[in-house]
Amino acid sequence: MKRKILLNINDEDYEVEIDPNRLLVDVIREDIGLTGTKKGCEIGVCGACTVLMDGKLVSSCLMLAIYAAGKKITTIEGLFKNGELHPLQKAFLDYGSFQCGFCTPGMVLASKAILEENPHPTEHEIREGLNGNLCRCTGYAKVVEAIQAVAGK
Amino acid sequence: MQEFSVIGKRLPKVEGYDKVTGMATYVADIKLPHMLYGKVLRSPIPHGKILHVDTEKAKKVPGVKAVLTGEDTPKIKWGAFIDDMHVLAFDNVRFVGDEVAAVAAVDESAAEEAIDLIKVDYEELPTLFDVFEAMKSDAPKIHEKGNVALHQKFVKGDFEGGMKEAAYVFEEDFTTPIVWHAYLETMGAIATYSLSGKLSIWLSTQTLFMARQRIARALGMRIADIRLIQPSVGGGFGGKSCDEPTAMICGLLAKKTGRPVRLINTREEEFQASRPRVAANIHLKMGFRKDGTIAFKDARTVNDNGAYSAKAPATTGVTLTRIDTLYRFKSIRGEAILVYTNKVPTGAFRGFGNPPMHFAVEQMMDMAAKEIGLDPTEIRLRNATQVGDVSIHGWRVNSCALSDSIRKAAELMNWKEERAHKKAHQGLGMGCFIHVSGKRHFGNYDGSSAVVKVNEDGKLTIFSGEGEIGQGAFTVLSQIAAEELGVPAKDVEINVGDTDTSTYCHGAYASRLTYIAGNAVKAAVADAKRQLFKMASEMLEAIPEDLVSKDAKIFVKGDPSKALTVSEVARACLYREGGFPVIGRGTWDPPSELQTKDTRDGNTSGAYSFGTQMCKVEVDPETGKVKVLSFIAAHDSGKVINPMLAEGQIEGALQQGIGYALCEEMAFEDGKVMNPNFADYKILSADDMPEKIKIHFVETCVEPTGPFGAKGLGEPGLVATSPAIANAICDAVGVRIKGLPMTPEKILKAIKEKNKAAR
Repeated sequence: MKRKILLNINDEDYEVEIDPNRLLVDVIREDIGLTGTKKGCEIGVCGACTVLMDGKLVSSCLMLAIYAAGKKITTIEGLFKNGELHPLQKAFLDYGSFQCGFCTPGMVLASKAILEENPHPTEHEIREGLNGNLCRCTGYAKVVEAIQAVAGK
Repeated sequence: MQEFSVIGKRLPKVEGYDKVTGMATYVADIKLPHMLYGKVLRSPIPHGKILHVDTEKAKKVPGVKAVLTGEDTPKIKWGAFIDDMHVLAFDNVRFVGDEVAAVAAVDESAAEEAIDLIKVDYEELPTLFDVFEAMKSDAPKIHEKGNVALHQKFVKGDFEGGMKEAAYVFEEDFTTPIVWHAYLETMGAIATYSLSGKLSIWLSTQTLFMARQRIARALGMRIADIRLIQPSVGGGFGGKSCDEPTAMICGLLAKKTGRPVRLINTREEEFQASRPRVAANIHLKMGFRKDGTIAFKDARTVNDNGAYSAKAPATTGVTLTRIDTLYRFKSIRGEAILVYTNKVPTGAFRGFGNPPMHFAVEQMMDMAAKEIGLDPTEIRLRNATQVGDVSIHGWRVNSCALSDSIRKAAELMNWKEERAHKKAHQGLGMGCFIHVSGKRHFGNYDGSSAVVKVNEDGKLTIFSGEGEIGQGAFTVLSQIAAEELGVPAKDVEINVGDTDTSTYCHGAYASRLTYIAGNAVKAAVADAKRQLFKMASEMLEAIPEDLVSKDAKIFVKGDPSKALTVSEVARACLYREGGFPVIGRGTWDPPSELQTKDTRDGNTSGAYSFGTQMCKVEVDPETGKVKVLSFIAAHDSGKVINPMLAEGQIEGALQQGIGYALCEEMAFEDGKVMNPNFADYKILSADDMPEKIKIHFVETCVEPTGPFGAKGLGEPGLVATSPAIANAICDAVGVRIKGLPMTPEKILKAIKEKNKAAR
């Protein structure tokens, strides 16, 4: 039986009618069409599907969409506001912190969560904070640099 | 030194805005009207004969629009080098994951349900998982022609004389495992078929035109009846070279249903049935003279092809021979054998067969250094290839800063000082490497071509079919174009890879794009520039030879006051009677040669890259766990077009190389991959990587044939990584680990054996 739920994503309300077993990542991508959130490993290990829920990092491939009803969800599309890139997005560009870009939405959101929890993290704290987000292209060095640059401002 | 305005600049990636905002569209992000979802049924057994496939129940699942078996395919054998695969198996299955049937349905759950309802009866056949078992003459056959897919042997130089000259001889066995690319985006395709006969496929691939050829061959179609479009690709590292049948299956489903079909691999399917790195079993013997120069090398490698031949016939030759131009080898003997087993077929992965032999030879260099009493840097300097050398295989080395890279790495690592004062259980190690910039094999052509359109506003649009998979090709090609015409980088745009709109290009492999496609783009822009200068010369009343272009303006040399913009000249070409749009075309085939089949002679690439990596590790003697404390990479990549992206290539390669060294391995049980996910197949996270990494480009020697002096740099970053770490482990705890990955178990066992022997 399908259920009607209200999802608040990037400060906009979306009413969707879904089977209760649908994953949040699939509803965000397929039903709502916000494809910036990626599916990487399907088991909550790689972080490509990372979204923020009430400010906290969540693997949207591990969560049923119905549990997200009533929460504030931020996806990568929510960071570009009033025609301006988020400082982290700008830093990722300037420091070359991505290559294929597939992990980047999750990586940017994880970086945002790191800095919101701790505005001046050490390099070690940054690296620990990124542990839930795998990247196969960059070796992480330039991701760390970008976060440090934003933290230093 | 030539002054550049765009080359050598740390410019952000041209497609970067789309990637940081989530706007970049990967194949799984594309949804077409009326689209169906595809799924594949794979063999659960490693070897068997298909007796019967029952699809009746599957066809009755509501929403299912097509069920395909091998009988519905053209049954044409295909493959990159050896035609031994079918799109769907109809006679035998040869590995766990072999494609047997496929379904297209209105949604994924219907497709999955149908897959579950397809019943296949198999007669199980004898299995072979070990190459040495499989190559025995009485072993059961996996393919009709036998289990040896390739056998090469050669003796070069005065081998007997080299043996006699050797004062020190070392002989060891080394093994390297099957490892997986682990790109974050799984492979996938969306296909549409028009009744006019055109099959269009958006494909997650790194080799568009070669994929098109293989699809055409496997499906029995004309090449140009297939259009391949490259969306954003989430990494490739050699794995997305259309060596497995995802695109063909998707195309057949679209053809059968007349509707768009999207087929995306799950992560588990990727592990079971993509084309990971070939495993090597190396027997190596090397002799050295008293002064540390190499007297001879005798190498044999037995590589695991898996069930079908993807790129392993080529990677195996590379395992055997590529290292032979790193040092001044004068007498060598080599043998390479590639053997079928009932495991996942192996293929191309960054480094292309080169890392296993580096793991072996670069350890033996250290063994010899220790025995002879030379510093590891010194023994390599005494053997290092130099500019102008022609190697034992006939490779012509136009540029080479190997010796400089050794000295530079040692300086950055503070090698001698650090080695002298290292703490207990800490060690330093090094490895040198050689790699290619392109490799001539397909149709005796290793060239590239490009077309450039000069728009009315002076902006350039480049049409290249080489594609971008994240490595930065588009940005680097744009920089080359901008420099050639003298316009800012923002005035260059590059089209997405599309076989209908661009000319033939081989694609991204063999670290060939900067060097080869760079030269093709440069030639195309030079052609456009000639047309612009001809028009400008009339407008400025000067001869074209006296003109220069800079900052998007064209003027007589020394007189920038009377300048025309590129836009003004392009408009002048177009808007007049008999006008024309400015279109430049360029093509470039490097000065390389096709190698002879057996002896592997011939200058395989137009340019070779070299480098040195050094690292410092700490080994816990209680657990055997290795921590890489710092890493130095000093690479000779010629002139570096974009240092920021180039550093990123090496840093990323190190993540893969350190993983290859310490933890990555596909584990098999009865042919089945037992760790087919990111929880059980460990790739390094941010916290696992050393904090201290220093990338340095030794630009003391630019490549004379390269665009603005550049050569390839995508793959080399991991070639010498595993021996550097192995040598550091040995320096730390005195044990030599000869099998990858160098897990804590192996190290601990070796430490215990060493302690036992000492007692």
